Amino acid sequence: MTFNFRDTSLIPVWEKVQKRERLSMADGLALYATPDLISLGKMANFVQQQKSGDAVYFVLNQKIEHTNICVLSCKFCDFAVKKGDPEAYEMTTGDILSTLTPDITEVHITGGMPADWPWERYLDIVRTICRKYPNIDVKAFTAVEIDFFHKKFKMPVGEVLRQLKEAGLKTMPGGGAEVFSERVRRLLFNQKIGAKGWFGVHKAAHRLGIPTNSTLLYGHIETLGERLDHMIQLREAQDETGGFLTFIPLAFQPGDTGIKPRDRFTSAIDDLKTIAISRLMLDNFPHIKAYWVMLTEEVASVALNFGADDMDGTVGQERIAHDAGATSPMKLAKDRIIRLIKDAGKIPVERDVYYNPLKVHADNVIGKIPYLNSLPFHSDFEKGPFKILPIVPRRMGLLAADGQLVAGLFSLMDYYRNESTLELLDWCIATRDQVKSVMLFSNHGWADLDGKRIGVTDETATSIGLLRLLLRKKYNVKAEFVRLHAGVNSYADFDAVLLIGDQALYHNRHGLAGFELVYDLAAEWYDWKKMPFVFAVWAVKKDLPRETKNALCATIAESLRRTEGRYRAIGELHGKMLRLAPADVEEYLEGFNYTLGDREKEAMMEFRKLTAEVNPGVTI
Amino acid sequence: MIQLPALCDKARNGGRLAPEEGVLLLKHAELLELGDLANGVRARKNPGPKVTFVVDTNPNYTNVCNIDCIFCAFYRHPGEEGEYTYSVDHMIGEFRRAAASGVTTVLLQGGVNPALSFSYYLDMVRRTIAEVPEIHPHFFSTSEIIGMAGVSGLTVPEVLRQLWDAGLRTIPGGGAEILNDRVKKKISHLKGSSDDWMMVMREAHRIGYRTTATMMYGHLETDEEIVEHLERIRRLQDETGGFTAFIPWSFKPGNTPLEKIIPHYATPVRYLQVLAVSRIYLDNFDHIQASWFSEGKKTGQIALHFGADDFGGTLFEENVHAAANFVNRSSADEVVNLIRDSGFIPAQRDTLYNILRVFDPAAAA
Repeated sequence: MTFNFRDTSLIPVWEKVQKRERLSMADGLALYATPDLISLGKMANFVQQQKSGDAVYFVLNQKIEHTNICVLSCKFCDFAVKKGDPEAYEMTTGDILSTLTPDITEVHITGGMPADWPWERYLDIVRTICRKYPNIDVKAFTAVEIDFFHKKFKMPVGEVLRQLKEAGLKTMPGGGAEVFSERVRRLLFNQKIGAKGWFGVHKAAHRLGIPTNSTLLYGHIETLGERLDHMIQLREAQDETGGFLTFIPLAFQPGDTGIKPRDRFTSAIDDLKTIAISRLMLDNFPHIKAYWVMLTEEVASVALNFGADDMDGTVGQERIAHDAGATSPMKLAKDRIIRLIKDAGKIPVERDVYYNPLKVHADNVIGKIPYLNSLPFHSDFEKGPFKILPIVPRRMGLLAADGQLVAGLFSLMDYYRNESTLELLDWCIATRDQVKSVMLFSNHGWADLDGKRIGVTDETATSIGLLRLLLRKKYNVKAEFVRLHAGVNSYADFDAVLLIGDQALYHNRHGLAGFELVYDLAAEWYDWKKMPFVFAVWAVKKDLPRETKNALCATIAESLRRTEGRYRAIGELHGKMLRLAPADVEEYLEGFNYTLGDREKEAMMEFRKLTAEVNPGVTI
Repeated sequence: MIQLPALCDKARNGGRLAPEEGVLLLKHAELLELGDLANGVRARKNPGPKVTFVVDTNPNYTNVCNIDCIFCAFYRHPGEEGEYTYSVDHMIGEFRRAAASGVTTVLLQGGVNPALSFSYYLDMVRRTIAEVPEIHPHFFSTSEIIGMAGVSGLTVPEVLRQLWDAGLRTIPGGGAEILNDRVKKKISHLKGSSDDWMMVMREAHRIGYRTTATMMYGHLETDEEIVEHLERIRRLQDETGGFTAFIPWSFKPGNTPLEKIIPHYATPVRYLQVLAVSRIYLDNFDHIQASWFSEGKKTGQIALHFGADDFGGTLFEENVHAAANFVNRSSADEVVNLIRDSGFIPAQRDTLYNILRVFDPAAAA
């Protein structure tokens, strides 16, 4: 991408963005003030590419608003009514079940806050949906509702959340944040919980391993400074917990809302700027959502080139936005979303509630492991006819099993599982002796792990196999493995935790609260076998045309050649995010062997043989 | 064959694009790269943050039409229920009302109604000029002009000459659709060939008329055919210099026979790509119009950052898109706000792009 700044005040901001330096309030104001919308978009698109590659996510989802009866009377809301109002409705658990269709993967539940519903009724909704529809993940209740439960049912916020999680709640929506400014809250939302309450609920959720979303309601009486301050507060909270999945700017919908802080819709330019600026300010947020129902389909689709990497979904019912005059059609068909994303030059990726890719609606997609250790392949990769999907190893394997990726650096186990359709190439990620990024954090020595519960990151396909081998064959113990989910988890429930990739590298360096011991799995393997360990191998779909395959091989070889001897330079910025010094990054990357040689192949065979012995039923 | 980066440099430096280069841009350039290049051309042609608009209305004198375009939801056959044809008196009354509300331009088009004589059209022009002098008549598409030649037995240049003598000075550029006969035969086989549209425009420009040029994409055309369209009007502009502006818009499938084949609106991103490539390719056009009424107000606003320097009309009355269930009405105040909220200075213009009034931000405060 070439830059052609028409507004020179953007240049210092761009320099910061390239160096992954944090943007200040003043930077944000300069971005809002710029007439150069295109350069702003390019900067945000650059950051989005680093985070999500070519992917734009969407989800097959439905929205449930279980009741419109509400004890609050917020001025801007024309959804809520009082009990006894002719428009009032209350859905039973049965009503809710009957509106769900099995083809969705996420249900989003928010609603009014009636005075007379018992606590059990909410738990029952979540529990019953999970039981009847095991494929549907429940995202439910804004911080405002959680706070209401806390007060009404006289339970600590943490207990409310713990019970909901136990009932099956996976994530929480980000609504109710409005604008964190106390000035605005007093004028418009004085019955809502305010910044402190909102953050209190979200941080409590994150500590319990419930990832959440976040929102900003803009385009009414708030100032640009108040918008940016809102983003900065979210960024600080994210530094603390890492629990936010996405940020969703919501354009205020003027309509029949009693108050008219502004009588017209936000401009498309304000919408695009807000998307782009949030992508640039929220450097620690994985995703920015262009919520088409509020933003209009027009703006949301263009926003995919201005930093947004999520379009929300098919959304069944949208009474709140619709009642206030949102012009989007009630149901945007899946194929329309796919077409909008493709026209924007991106790959449509159907996701689950945690942003795990479920289905890729595009051809020629290469999976990219988003960890520091694969940077020598990807930092200078000429993608040519290919599209890039950053995806963790285990998820890459699941997509490969479905034939959805043409190539990638596959976890060794996944390569073996898909050996019939994949052809092995000449490159890999192999350790020499230690790895530093496949780590078991534990409170027990190896021998004492017998019968213990080990939390295992959702990202691994091969390391979990290696851990099992080490436990069974090297130490002769048996532990229970529990899969963690993507995003924040509560590690307190486990005796040990297996992490991989950047997460493991970070905690290896900075420690993981609650765990005393740290084991490097590759070092354990080396100590045992005196062999390297091959974590991942490059492989390509066998049915890919020969010339495409050759072109890809040439590209991989060229990428490696370009980065050879430059590990410090190429890894510096990535390392910075993990709070690693350039020298540490260099040492880490030099610990790998990226070419698949005889010693590596021998190690692969040994691992395969031992794994077959431990899992006699499983052929790999 | 030129590579994309070199092509972008060429466009950035103001080089004229060959057709295959236009296709390459349309197919492969990134959206924001196109926006950047188009802005560069826009800044050379129309420096400064001004965006123009015209206070106009877009009524129709008849919906009777014998052309049967499958992309149209507006027309009725003679005798069909819902058909109408208004008298000149009726239209003059409408123009008076429009003029009273500040309208300066009337873009008048109809179906091609074989029952109307040529004198009806001449009368319409003469009486508008005599009786509603505040209004600039911007009347009759190429199809109607060819229709007039048919009913009168005159040649097209003779028809144009008589309309000119009656006082008509500009002609709207509708009906071009895609200037490629493969496409035209499929979507509007009775409308005449691409050459017919070009011929009427050429003859009009020779007499001294200024006209706009349009393009309707998003149906059966290919990228190559879009660029062919641009190439043809660029060549005619080299020859005559008669075009004031280019206006691309997307096909609206609602209630049209073509809906069965093309059920979706073209996406906003596609519109911005087509608009930007048009701005880059049509290096001899002064103005590119953002078509908010066909693409939506928000897309219209974004289009101003992708090479458009004009926001089109306020369209107090518009029936053709409305018939396809795509309704977008605006008023002068709202258009001013839409332009201003996009970061530009609104300026009201006349049909010939002379500035009538600048809505200066300082003056507004």
